Amino acid sequence: MTLYPVLYHSNMSEFNTPTQRIIAAATLISQGAEAKVYKAELHPPAISGSTSDEGYESEPVLIKHRFNKQYRHPTLDASLTKSRVAGEARAINKCLRAGVNVPGVRMVDLQEGVLGIQWIDGQSIRFLLGGGAEGEEEVEEVDDDGFEEDATESNEDSLKEYNITQDDTMQLIGKEIAKMHKADIIHGDLTTSNMMLRRPSASDQVPELVLIDFGLSYTSSLVEDKAVDLYVLERAFASTHPASESLFGTVMKAYEKEAGKEWKTIGRRLDDVRLRGRKRSMIG
Amino acid sequence: MQSYDYPHFPDYASNFHFALFTNVSNAADLRNRLVQASTMQGEEGEAERQAVDFAFIEATLICSSLHLRSAILNSVLSQSQGTLRTKTVHSEILWNLNPTNNISDAIRRYGVSPSTTSLIVVRIGPPSPPSTIQAQMQEVVSGTLSPISELKNITDWAKVRKYHKIGQKMDKDPIKDTQKAHEIVLSTVAMKSVVV
Amino acid sequence: MPGKIRKRSPLKAPERPYIALGLEGSANKLGAGIIKHSPDGSTEVLSNVRHTYITPPGEGFLPRDTAQHHRAWALTVINDALKTAEISLHDIDCICFTKGPGMGAPLTSVALVARTLSLLYNKPLVGVNHCVGHIEMGRQITGAKNPVVLYVSGGNTQVIAYSQQCYRIFGETLDIAVGNCLDRFARVINLSNDPSPGYNIEQEAKKGKRLLTLPYATKGMDVSLSGILTSVEAYTQDKRFRPDGPRNEADTDIITPQDLCFSLQETVFAMLVEITERAMAHIGSKEVLIVGGVGCNERLQEMMGVMATERGGQVFATDERFCIDNGIMIAQAGLLSYRMGFETPLAKSQCTQRFRTDQVHVAWRA
Repeated sequence: MTLYPVLYHSNMSEFNTPTQRIIAAATLISQGAEAKVYKAELHPPAISGSTSDEGYESEPVLIKHRFNKQYRHPTLDASLTKSRVAGEARAINKCLRAGVNVPGVRMVDLQEGVLGIQWIDGQSIRFLLGGGAEGEEEVEEVDDDGFEEDATESNEDSLKEYNITQDDTMQLIGKEIAKMHKADIIHGDLTTSNMMLRRPSASDQVPELVLIDFGLSYTSSLVEDKAVDLYVLERAFASTHPASESLFGTVMKAYEKEAGKEWKTIGRRLDDVRLRGRKRSMIG
Repeated sequence: MQSYDYPHFPDYASNFHFALFTNVSNAADLRNRLVQASTMQGEEGEAERQAVDFAFIEATLICSSLHLRSAILNSVLSQSQGTLRTKTVHSEILWNLNPTNNISDAIRRYGVSPSTTSLIVVRIGPPSPPSTIQAQMQEVVSGTLSPISELKNITDWAKVRKYHKIGQKMDKDPIKDTQKAHEIVLSTVAMKSVVV
Repeated sequence: MPGKIRKRSPLKAPERPYIALGLEGSANKLGAGIIKHSPDGSTEVLSNVRHTYITPPGEGFLPRDTAQHHRAWALTVINDALKTAEISLHDIDCICFTKGPGMGAPLTSVALVARTLSLLYNKPLVGVNHCVGHIEMGRQITGAKNPVVLYVSGGNTQVIAYSQQCYRIFGETLDIAVGNCLDRFARVINLSNDPSPGYNIEQEAKKGKRLLTLPYATKGMDVSLSGILTSVEAYTQDKRFRPDGPRNEADTDIITPQDLCFSLQETVFAMLVEITERAMAHIGSKEVLIVGGVGCNERLQEMMGVMATERGGQVFATDERFCIDNGIMIAQAGLLSYRMGFETPLAKSQCTQRFRTDQVHVAWRA
């Protein structure tokens, strides 16, 4: 039997709450405009007893901490943070129930503005497509959902590592987005940084495409909102992956297949959205 | 029995112990004992409440030890923030396991009932030797102490899915189907503080 | 941008001094300004005169009456500007006027003056986008190099950043402009329009104590403000609303107009700072420039400053002379494009109420 450690506890007293201590012990991965993202250990291994489950517990979690915004009135800041953390967790739950591949929720602390989600072992589509080389002015800060790697180093052979062709990857993207839209969830920030391939557990398995970062998502059944969601992705493809029209075409074909009869109206609206751009015409 | 030390939790709740008992024969008595302990007066009452100061959980509704630990984590977080919805950190575990916001439903479904034969017993508390805790558990439960890995043969997925309203099949592959249902259960427990 | 080699500016140093007259009248301010660009690269404001059409409390300005005001005051204001600058119209290189966006009638009345002067003195016309005017003047005054611009006024709410000879709009209002929102609320609680409704809201807000819940509507880098206006107006119908302060000492659970001004500012400005920060994060900029009439608001400047400091950056803002619509900004932007060889032929000098910031070819920047 292992001795149970007691010494450990006292030197963490400077952090007041359990959540703050979890964050203090975690590794910072990235800092966005609204949140800091960490890799953390939520559940330590057993100090006594058999090694339990199928290994779920030893998985790290990704902690997204929406820190205080000093410029905002504290009351407003607290209520906004709460509703955003809750909103993100709700969207994830809704996606899971609709069978959309998303990282599951692992902890929520509304008071501290913390959302802990399942760690996805894999890489972003942006990285896998070699979209690292940033355009002249299109410098993107590392995304709020940190699974991001050093985006300047593209790796063209990396898709091979996942036993998947570029074309099949695009199909997975289209299918997953269509599933999400069928559940009336609008992602709000579809970019190739916000989708990942999960590393397959065995070499003969097909990787899963996982949608991440639901920080800007909301629920809507409006064709307009779904079309705009797709338009945002189209623009993201065009800006991060030049000469990617054919890739996006494959995404749309798979979306069309999965969306079924819904596609007619969404597709038509997407054409409209493209024509007018995202912006309204400006009145003095 | 499993024992864990959570260094980020306050000392009074930094250690969790839980054990799976199968072939439990005294579930009905245990339940009565819990009801009585809660109303007993004086020193005798204190001692009795001490003796049964555990969470007793219907094991067929638990999918994995991570499932259970997620509920424990929430309960300790609430305790440290002073936002417990129920009387004790132990009853809070039942509340956290239940997907709805009804406390008596939570106890009825996830607590020990006369028909319980597989039981998970949980103690949250300050660091103390696992052997002592295990002895205290065995004192109150008559049953076979089993490794937690046995859980996978015990879980009643039909009931779990019913309570969590996972009606449809999540995947053609039955293994993946259960994995996906498990993920929904885990997420639902982890985000219990968010009213869905 | 880190590591980027700054390109040479296509704008060559002038071989002689250039002087421009700028005429602005897209809303209720009539402005005339004269600017001078010297061969040594310096820019000098020779004059900046403005006359504002002020309506009684509870009333907004209507296009017809505003146009009438501009027509009545045009000559006085222009003469004033020339006198202050100590030059005559013969000394001027070009006449710049606001082509849009703005209210139709006031715009055309000022454009008519510009055309007339152009023909009388045989000076070229330069049509200027009002928003670009704000941005260029803000850059000139503050020295901000490549900031994210928050343009907030009665008619516009935009987050703008420069990219490839274009001021790209990253975010904007999906319905009404922030200044419009504040002005309309000022009317609801009967605040004076002198010197401006926004200024009076700011003063009232300083006395507010209670933060009331208002909808917070950011959508990515866009905001929506009409719902907030409706909600804040609804509070004036609340039974706790006391337009004249508490009834007696025991009357504590109350909502005052000051509280509403405070809540409105706190909520709306937080939204604006948030979308500005998002744009800064997106393009990796650390500088932010606030322009437009609402940009004078010190609370907005303060909040933006806190945000910028947290990001290790800096906020730039100007005072009311340059924030509020004025002629000098039209002269500045107009002269920049004139120096790049741009002129507006008479036949194409009509105004347009809709003229997006990103439709302008920013030839003078790299």
